[in-house]
Amino acid sequence: METFLTILLSGLLLGGIYSLVSIGLNLIFGVVRIVNFAQGELVMLAMYATYFCFARFGIGPYYAVFLVAPLMFVLGLVVQRLVLQPLQNEPNMQIFATFGLLILLENSMLALTRGEGLSLAGSYSRDVIDIFGLKASVSRVIVFLAATAIAAALMLFLQRTMAGKAIRAVIQDRQSARLMGINVSRTYLLTFALGSALAGVAGALLAPIYTLSPYIGGNFILAAFAVVVLGGLGSVPGAYVGGLAVGLMESFAGYYIDPTLKQAIWFIIFVAVLVLRPSGLMGQAGAEEVGLREQS
Amino acid sequence: MRKAGLLAAIAAMVISASAATAQEPIRIGAINPYSGPTALYGDETSRGYQIAIDEANAKGGVIGRKIELFRGDAGNPQQGIAAVEKLVSDKVDIFVGTYISAVSNAASDAALRYSKLYWDTNALAADLTERGLPNFIRSGPYAASFGETSANATRDLLAPALGKPIKGLKVWIESEDSIYGTSIAKRQKELLEKDGAIVVGVGAHNFRAIDLTDAILRAKAAAPDVWINTGYVPDNNLLLRTMRDQGFKPGAAMLVGSGDTFETLEALGADWLEGLTIVGYPRPDQTEAYGPGAAAYLAAYKKKYERDPIAPQSMAAYAGMQMLLEAVAAAGSVEVEKVRAAAAKMDKPLKSYATGFGAKFDDKFQNTRAFPTVVQWQSGKVVTVFPKDAAQPNVKLVSTQRK
Repeated sequence: METFLTILLSGLLLGGIYSLVSIGLNLIFGVVRIVNFAQGELVMLAMYATYFCFARFGIGPYYAVFLVAPLMFVLGLVVQRLVLQPLQNEPNMQIFATFGLLILLENSMLALTRGEGLSLAGSYSRDVIDIFGLKASVSRVIVFLAATAIAAALMLFLQRTMAGKAIRAVIQDRQSARLMGINVSRTYLLTFALGSALAGVAGALLAPIYTLSPYIGGNFILAAFAVVVLGGLGSVPGAYVGGLAVGLMESFAGYYIDPTLKQAIWFIIFVAVLVLRPSGLMGQAGAEEVGLREQS
Repeated sequence: MRKAGLLAAIAAMVISASAATAQEPIRIGAINPYSGPTALYGDETSRGYQIAIDEANAKGGVIGRKIELFRGDAGNPQQGIAAVEKLVSDKVDIFVGTYISAVSNAASDAALRYSKLYWDTNALAADLTERGLPNFIRSGPYAASFGETSANATRDLLAPALGKPIKGLKVWIESEDSIYGTSIAKRQKELLEKDGAIVVGVGAHNFRAIDLTDAILRAKAAAPDVWINTGYVPDNNLLLRTMRDQGFKPGAAMLVGSGDTFETLEALGADWLEGLTIVGYPRPDQTEAYGPGAAAYLAAYKKKYERDPIAPQSMAAYAGMQMLLEAVAAAGSVEVEKVRAAAAKMDKPLKSYATGFGAKFDDKFQNTRAFPTVVQWQSGKVVTVFPKDAAQPNVKLVSTQRK
């Protein structure tokens, strides 16, 4: 029983990591209709920024997050305005552009660090708490709590604020939204920046858990795509719940079946959902087609 | 008279031309990653070559010629082939390498097309020598040697430290799931079971995995006395962190291939690492009796690069280059067949080089006298503890019990 609960807990905490990384990706996908291949590299960039804050200025990751996330917000604004917006009417080119950004960020970081594996020193990753006799790393619990809080806050933002309502309107139908007087370009700008800031939060909170390498972004993004498809394209609660579901499945399969099959399991989910329920668990039915319809 | 003068002039020209050839340097092309994620280690490997070449040049070179090192950047097989072709056009005579086995495989094949020798000092994959490529020689240890040393160290170092006989000792064998990890794990299992140890489980994982809690929980449930992992830096560090978080405390833990650098020290801290053992390339802190010239190598490295070696790969490269130059000197040539014939005749006992290697090649041209050593983290430093005669007399094995 204890083993079962340990697996359950580790699955939930892993799910928290997936949720945190996927929410930003899904928001960008739902609103701007771009598959942002560079989302993992934005997380990687934020991890290095957090490391730099700590190594150079002694700022711990849980303080650095308040510095890194706004910086990533600004970076998101710049990327959307200078790279993606000029390609607005060429969606395929936008995808290539995010792929180019991926390569650029990865190789720039490689040149700066020579590929040395860096880890945050200090006690951030070392504290463990006991939850009813089950052991959990504090840094992972923080990631889980942050993912939950961000999902809730983002849902409130989308439901209650004018900017949030504009974003939702654009998700549903960008033409009608424009006719209602919503500035669609500005909504894109805000959303891409918000998605980048979320990558910033993810990077800062994940930095204490991993040994940093310029390629680490790719490790997260594969799973994040499975999460986005499972949860539903463009849905914030979908990304949250989808993240937890993938985390739990991976954890149970890894322990009870075979750890080497974990990646295969993501893609079984990926394909199964695409076949059985293309809009995902919580996505709006037909959402996966809207983008194409509007682009044509 | 006129004819005689002409002959004399031709003779003079021939002599001066051959004198020029004699002074032409031996060009050695070092195929390694100098960019990309493993650039640090590729660079480190070639530093070892450079030190051996500097030493040889200070003594006047080999077969009357100075030696020059050329670098060919290759992080994947395609780049390996391109680097060989580029260096051939730079008139390179011999190739050395390689930090990455897959690069060695492709680059040595490409070198064969130009009838150039490929002398490998650092690649580990077993199939490199098993291919029987007629231009390939490996001077360093390979996957099987790592499997062998880890099994021997479990029997002769860890079991006695735990106060248990090897017969019945419970071992969990973990590895990353590519050919590198699984081939070493397979050899470990064979040898440990032959010695009577009980392999309670074999696990494999992807080295890029985001979470390895399942791998640790599976091992923890099997309650082994010794836990062994063959992997890279990121998965080693994540496994060790998970081990700590999950309270998995085997009597001893041993890493193979990595875990002995500052990258692991920074991730886990000196306190927690205390007592952890690692099977890796021989390090310069071993005794002079085991690795004659190790101290001089360390001094030369510090003088040239103004720091301690980043990783132990460079000393294996250094010893490999020394061996190559000895073979060239014995052959009196840089041609493949002649150097191979000279290498086949080499017979130097273990403990001949700074790494403790000897030189005796089998029919596949794998050096049978090259083995890794075992180090242990002690107070934030790694010190050589195995084989016993490689360990400094004042070094004692500290408790291996995981905390």
